[in-house]
Amino acid sequence: MGLPDEAKALPPPGIINRNSVWLGVIGWCSAMLQNAINRRPPMKSGVHRQALLASIGWFIGYHVTKHENYTYARLDRDMNEYVRLHPENFSDKEKKTFAEIVEPFHPIR
Amino acid sequence: MTLNRLLLRAASVSKIGSRSAFTAAKPDHTNPNWLRVGLAFGTSAFLWGLLFKQHSTDVHEYKVRNGLE
Repeated sequence: MGLPDEAKALPPPGIINRNSVWLGVIGWCSAMLQNAINRRPPMKSGVHRQALLASIGWFIGYHVTKHENYTYARLDRDMNEYVRLHPENFSDKEKKTFAEIVEPFHPIR
Repeated sequence: MTLNRLLLRAASVSKIGSRSAFTAAKPDHTNPNWLRVGLAFGTSAFLWGLLFKQHSTDVHEYKVRNGLE
């Protein structure tokens, strides 16, 4: 439960981050949807509900972003470690210039 | 404005909407339940405070572990 200790060495996400904004907007829209279903003015009524659901979404989004950052950092580290341990699979192919590849041009006019 | 109109149209299409599973009385929207309003705003404020606190802890922890402070 929760992230391992090494995740704390990663730079933390900003207060404004993609997942927070997305989940916050989803929370806000679900409050407006509830208003619409109950035949109340969607944006003007139940402001406390809109604020609460948007805040919950924003909060969850922050922690989702932290988890996402750790997951991608771990995958990158494992991938780079594999590349480091198996250099024979990742050698640079000899590069040819276009002059060497292209066939001579004989125009037929 | 158009978002409002779209949502209002959704409300008018469904005549039944929704009803509480626990009470038979129609909800009275002219007298708000101030306790619930206060709790909702209070919880929102609490969550924002918690978020900012967590963020500042995370930033401090990051700086300490990477030798920046």
